[in-house]
Amino acid sequence: MKVVNLLAVVEEDKCRGCKICEMVCPVVAIQMENRIAVIDSERCRGCAACEQRCPDYAIKMVKREQPIYVKVDVSAVDYTQIEELCKKAKFNPEQLICYCTATRAEEVAAAILQGAKSPEELSYLTGVRTGCKVECIQPLLRLLDAAGIEPQRPKNGWQWYGKTVTVWEIPEEVKQKYASRGFYFDEDIKLLDRVVEAPLQGRSDT
Amino acid sequence: MRSPLTPIPPRASQYGIEPELVKTRVSELPGMTSVLLKELFPDLPEVIYPSTEGLAAVRTATVNALQKVDMSKIKPEHSVNILASHHGFTLLGGEPYAELLRTIKDVVEARTGCKNIRLRAGVGLRFRETEEYIKRYGLDKHFNGKAIGVAPIDQGIAIETEIGTLYGIKKVYDADWIIHAHNSDVREVHFHRQVDRAVKPFGMSYARIETRSTYHQNLGPRAANFTARAIFDSPFVQSKFAFAAFLTMAPNGIVGVDVDSDLYALNNRVTEIGCRYYGKMMTLLGEVDECIAALDFPAPAVYVFSAGVIYANFAGANTDLYDLEMPLPAYTWYTESFYGKRGRPLLDEIPPMNKAIKMAVHNYAWTGYPCAFFTEHIPTVVVGQEQAELFNRDPQNLSYMKHAVVSESTEAAMEFAYKTSGTRKVIVFDGAMGGINVSEPLAELLIRKAPEVSERVEELLLPKWLKQRGINL
Repeated sequence: MKVVNLLAVVEEDKCRGCKICEMVCPVVAIQMENRIAVIDSERCRGCAACEQRCPDYAIKMVKREQPIYVKVDVSAVDYTQIEELCKKAKFNPEQLICYCTATRAEEVAAAILQGAKSPEELSYLTGVRTGCKVECIQPLLRLLDAAGIEPQRPKNGWQWYGKTVTVWEIPEEVKQKYASRGFYFDEDIKLLDRVVEAPLQGRSDT
Repeated sequence: MRSPLTPIPPRASQYGIEPELVKTRVSELPGMTSVLLKELFPDLPEVIYPSTEGLAAVRTATVNALQKVDMSKIKPEHSVNILASHHGFTLLGGEPYAELLRTIKDVVEARTGCKNIRLRAGVGLRFRETEEYIKRYGLDKHFNGKAIGVAPIDQGIAIETEIGTLYGIKKVYDADWIIHAHNSDVREVHFHRQVDRAVKPFGMSYARIETRSTYHQNLGPRAANFTARAIFDSPFVQSKFAFAAFLTMAPNGIVGVDVDSDLYALNNRVTEIGCRYYGKMMTLLGEVDECIAALDFPAPAVYVFSAGVIYANFAGANTDLYDLEMPLPAYTWYTESFYGKRGRPLLDEIPPMNKAIKMAVHNYAWTGYPCAFFTEHIPTVVVGQEQAELFNRDPQNLSYMKHAVVSESTEAAMEFAYKTSGTRKVIVFDGAMGGINVSEPLAELLIRKAPEVSERVEELLLPKWLKQRGINL
């Protein structure tokens, strides 16, 4: 869940229509109209990616009069399906996958099972990837992949480029080659496997 | 007892409150003293900065170190990107790192005749942080307007590695040559565990979000650093890599400048100095039985410094962060993610945050890094409503103030901490150079414990740590 208390606002006299804000917005809330950035205030999740990357300092973050509470209802989905999807993606359903918004794997899985098909939709629905905007892209791509979904990147966008390797997929020869240099691949696989299988603590909100 | 050392002053930044709002530094309060790190560990190396020579010592050391590196492949018609990272600007006030960057540019230009030398300065999670430093230290002018900050959400470039495609920031690699200008300060031992520390920026501040997420979510706590090695070893990066130039750091300051075209040779030296000197400091801080931690430095709460150790590492000082047999420190993002919905770890062996920290007084620290885990697990008093409001407006810290209380002044916050924690031991994370600002009872404890810690590290721990990393003394 995320409380969205900020809103991006464009100062039109400063905007030069470079489109960078459009290319970095994780929820695709920005479009250019007459070479000026226009922000969909309902879609904006207040992450400030646009404000932080605008080369002309033409975007500012303002406090919303009424915060938006963004959350997907986990109880709307059979929890067995959530568990299956999370485990296929090698996550414990209760595992946090976004540290900024405290979003757990189960909520993202529930969003996918209810029809979300891209990282952008997941960010819009759950708030995930709208805090630091950096660390949680791979869990989203892993969960989508586990659901058999091949997401489409926003056209010309820089939101994300692709799913990358996980520790379970590191080639044996690579593990052997670097075994003495402090990389504990197999030990970390065992650790992460135990996390995946760890008992759930609370089904209270399911 | 010595007088407290001068803390690093507050900095004007969009990530912190206005400097004039920081009315009192914790080290100014009654009962505070300081201990020089050389008094604790006499074997710490001599430093060139801070010293009476000032920044000139950094320039001289850089010029001398650069003499040994071959620059013949850089031609006058080429372009060169000097790669920097935000972290260097948080060391000892930031000027020494800026001087390293300026000197590299000057020497490369003089030696090669190349004029197209740019600065590309990467960041952590505060995307405009190095933009601020570039202006503050006049680097835009020194690089003739060719100095920019780059962020992990900027346009990317695919890099083929032996573990598949990873992604770098395009502007990092848009030159014929790259020079890796960094430092050996250990900083995030909880993340990198002193494995390939010198290589890390290739998987972090020079990298796109896909790569950084691979590090923090896909590989596991002790395999994560392979991300950086995979990128650095890629044919693409190797085709551009000229050499690396590092400020060699110890907890008490800058030891020298190390330049090498073999990054792994440099990395071995960095690993040894990191394990030996920072290892001693962290092991000593692990001996603190109870204390109030005062955060008072221009950086996010996790990155405030004391004796070269960041608060995030003090929060895990109840465990041996250098021991790779221990999978999860008390704090790291993997650890944080493994707390379930009832607020308990999903695995029994996950250690708690350092129980010696009875309370944190957040006198001055920045936003721009997710820190709610700290206020959730360590009672925290934040000084000033303005600071609390800044955190409430930070997309990365929307829950930070849910678990913290606000005090109207430093004095009132410390008084509250003394009364409620019952301890008079205080450690101040304020970046004091060459020493550590603490309260008198904590100074006595550190001085008493240091000799045994030093012996234990030398005899027992250091050989184990280095062996785990494939380093032979």
